[in-house]
Amino acid sequence: MISEDDAADAALLADLRGVLGDRARDNDFERGLYSRDGSIEGSPPAIVCLPESAAEVARIVRVCRRHSRPFLARGSGTGLAGGAVPVGRPVVIATAKMDRIIEVDIDNRVAWVEPGVLNLDLSRALTPQGFHFAPDPSSQQVCSIGGNIANNSGGPHCLAYGVTTAHIAALEVVLPSGDTAILGGVEAEPAGFDLRGLFVGSEGTMGIATKAAVRLTPNAPAVRTLLLDFDDVSEGSAAVSAIIAAGLVPSALEMMDKRAIEIVEAFAHAGYPTGAAAVLLVELDGLPGGVDAGVEIVREVALKHHVGHVRVAADDEERALLWKGRKNAFGAVARIKPDYYLHDTVVPRSKLTEVLEKVYRIADAYGLIAVNVFHAGDGNLHPILAFDRREPGVDERVKAAGRDIVAASIEAGGVLSGEHGIGLEKRDYMGMLFSAHDMYTQDVVRETFDPDGLANPLKIIPTGSRCSDSFHQHVPEGAWV
Amino acid sequence: MSSSDSFPLQLDIDSDTLASCVACGMCLPHCPTYRVTGEESASPRGRIAMMRDAAERGEADAAFVEFMDACIQCRGCETACPAGVHYGHMMEATREALASQTSYQPRLRRLAYRALGMPRLLGFGSRLLGLSQRLGLIRLLSLLGRARPFRQLGAMTASLPRVPVRQAPLTASGDDVWLFTGCVMDAWMRDTHRAVQAVIEATGAGVALPPAEATCCGSLHLHAGLASDTRRLAHRVMAALPGEAPILIDSAGCGATMKEYGHLLGTEEAHQFAGRVQDVHEWLAERIDDLPEGAATSPDADGPSASDAMASDATPRERVAVQDPCHLRHVQQAHLPVRAVLGRYVEIAELDDEGLCCGAGGAYSQQHPEVAGAVRERKLAAIERTGVSVVASANPGCTLHLRAVGLDVRHPLEIVAEHLDGGTQA
Repeated sequence: MISEDDAADAALLADLRGVLGDRARDNDFERGLYSRDGSIEGSPPAIVCLPESAAEVARIVRVCRRHSRPFLARGSGTGLAGGAVPVGRPVVIATAKMDRIIEVDIDNRVAWVEPGVLNLDLSRALTPQGFHFAPDPSSQQVCSIGGNIANNSGGPHCLAYGVTTAHIAALEVVLPSGDTAILGGVEAEPAGFDLRGLFVGSEGTMGIATKAAVRLTPNAPAVRTLLLDFDDVSEGSAAVSAIIAAGLVPSALEMMDKRAIEIVEAFAHAGYPTGAAAVLLVELDGLPGGVDAGVEIVREVALKHHVGHVRVAADDEERALLWKGRKNAFGAVARIKPDYYLHDTVVPRSKLTEVLEKVYRIADAYGLIAVNVFHAGDGNLHPILAFDRREPGVDERVKAAGRDIVAASIEAGGVLSGEHGIGLEKRDYMGMLFSAHDMYTQDVVRETFDPDGLANPLKIIPTGSRCSDSFHQHVPEGAWV
Repeated sequence: MSSSDSFPLQLDIDSDTLASCVACGMCLPHCPTYRVTGEESASPRGRIAMMRDAAERGEADAAFVEFMDACIQCRGCETACPAGVHYGHMMEATREALASQTSYQPRLRRLAYRALGMPRLLGFGSRLLGLSQRLGLIRLLSLLGRARPFRQLGAMTASLPRVPVRQAPLTASGDDVWLFTGCVMDAWMRDTHRAVQAVIEATGAGVALPPAEATCCGSLHLHAGLASDTRRLAHRVMAALPGEAPILIDSAGCGATMKEYGHLLGTEEAHQFAGRVQDVHEWLAERIDDLPEGAATSPDADGPSASDAMASDATPRERVAVQDPCHLRHVQQAHLPVRAVLGRYVEIAELDDEGLCCGAGGAYSQQHPEVAGAVRERKLAAIERTGVSVVASANPGCTLHLRAVGLDVRHPLEIVAEHLDGGTQA
């Protein structure tokens, strides 16, 4: 018996094969691979498309429209909020093959790149010219520029340099209509609404970026990296605020708690002080005299907060090793439990201690292990709940703990997400922060781009924000934790 | 939707191991096949997810086999993995299940692997191959051979390097260490062993050579899923190399496998044996001061200080690009000793690709020439960026794969041996 769904999929596949040949895939095993991103659960798409050009992306979108089939873009699949998780048997458009750096324009300090270029590859390619791409998510060795754009990604060094949107000059996008448009501009800001600004962070709900003009940031002439350890988490948190209050804006100001230090050291062997309650990783960049003066200010502030040791990385190698530890912290959680659920909320810096204590209490209450490693400088918390999905009932506990953490952050005057996006994960929490009217307005903006609701539907904006629209499908059970 | 060509498959990998990957994706950029395809199915994260899927379903299909077969088994993902996932062992177990339960390894291939453990046959075959290459018979075979076995044989042999017809034997010089000589490497590249032996002897040590029984370590078999052949060969090798003397290996692939005999056989004896196995550079790096000084680094007693000499006169030292074989860097973590030894004689140019595979992968480059070629392109670009024309590689597979596009690739100790020769003549 061939079901209606199967027949629809077969017709869709035939048309997509017409565009892509054997780069349109429907093998069970392969579809399974695109059923989730770096978040926890998902469901397989109907078909996986592996385009090699912007023109192919536009043709895929037009085929999807003809079949009234939802579609969503996927970069490297490292997103943590379920933004690239298929819902409702969509077509996944994986942009990983579109990985060319098209043009580096030093005069204008921009580079035109395809969405599948990996973040760190871009910065490495720019090294000989003395530039880099500033946003540096922990996953920067693998995450793609397209994914950075979709999520308006941050990273440790965004404290001083700003998140992705500050580094995108212009975009070529395939709109949900299948038409191609250029948003923003390389030279002057074009007249009219800042549609580029609207698109960055829209998680694929307004179309698919097929080229980006990224801004190039000059590499700093001098960099100093300090590692400070504390016997007490609250002293560490207080030092964070005090460093900023002293007038410094470090290029990065990161914090790790005891468990994070242990797992990171087990992987990186960077000399992180296992046994300390918390460490701060502080980076200063600029002119040599300036950074050296900054080091002394950080040292003074840290001493006032009873720092154990102040270690200044001696060279680039030591610096790289410390960052290797920090940037692999999430994956290293597997040393405690095979699964993790990584949160992303922002709280006022002054409330760090208070919210961290709540996070530990919440995790304890649900019998989970909490690991904290986060961008302390901008109050961006990343509590990680480590668990084993094979334990019965654990999914519900993780989900409930996650909700409590979000509520605690908002109660402290914080927001839902710092940099991972809303995706599926936080969609139903939007109401904690936004009024019905706010969400309605956001939905109207979205509908302007995508009247048929085919572009990564059921993400960001909760169902029921509009009285009548196409958002009546429900998220399948277990689509995320 | 279920594929029409699915078949039952029992994967013998425990669920803790399968669950050990958290799918963070940090391995992706360090995977050569993901790098050249951008496809999740060609990534370690994807392959582990498919193993989990197949283990849960108890079945697989032709696509699954293709995806598993496309892995080069370089294990670059293991070095990159923050969670310490043992990907290599999972892939070996998967291929073993495929080879024992399906027609994954066709008969001709199994026979070819088996021949590696037969030194006389291998030697005879190699001479025949060498002669045929010189007489143009290989081309003839692939042109004229219409019958399937001929066509297969023609395709298999057409891309092989030019092999020697006659090689002088090696001569033992003592019993301080064993120098393991292997199968293909001894048949095709014995001069490399000769140079390695000379460098070992330059430290004052005497070299024992293995008897014919210790001819093949079983590495290629292991990677092909024929682990029972590897275990059989391992027993033979262990029996042929008795005593306490260190067993030195100059082929990264062999060393990696022989160090894992303990894991493979699970016996106390095998663990002990594996403990004696060292990459030859590891052994030399511990005795670095027993090696003669490199000519260019030795300061002239009456002349200016060494730093002045560097700055002013002195011919600049030869620059050599080091290509790290994956099984040396990612499996044995023995790539730094290569620099310690080679760096005594030449200036080392580092590649900027974080040890990404070159695409050789033992028999991989023969079986997947297209992917292997695309992976090699990235390596060639990295080598070109160093501006250096001589490449050092401590593995025969990588050496042949890179030589096939005209690069001057030598074993690091061949380069050292040349410097030692130069030193004694001067």
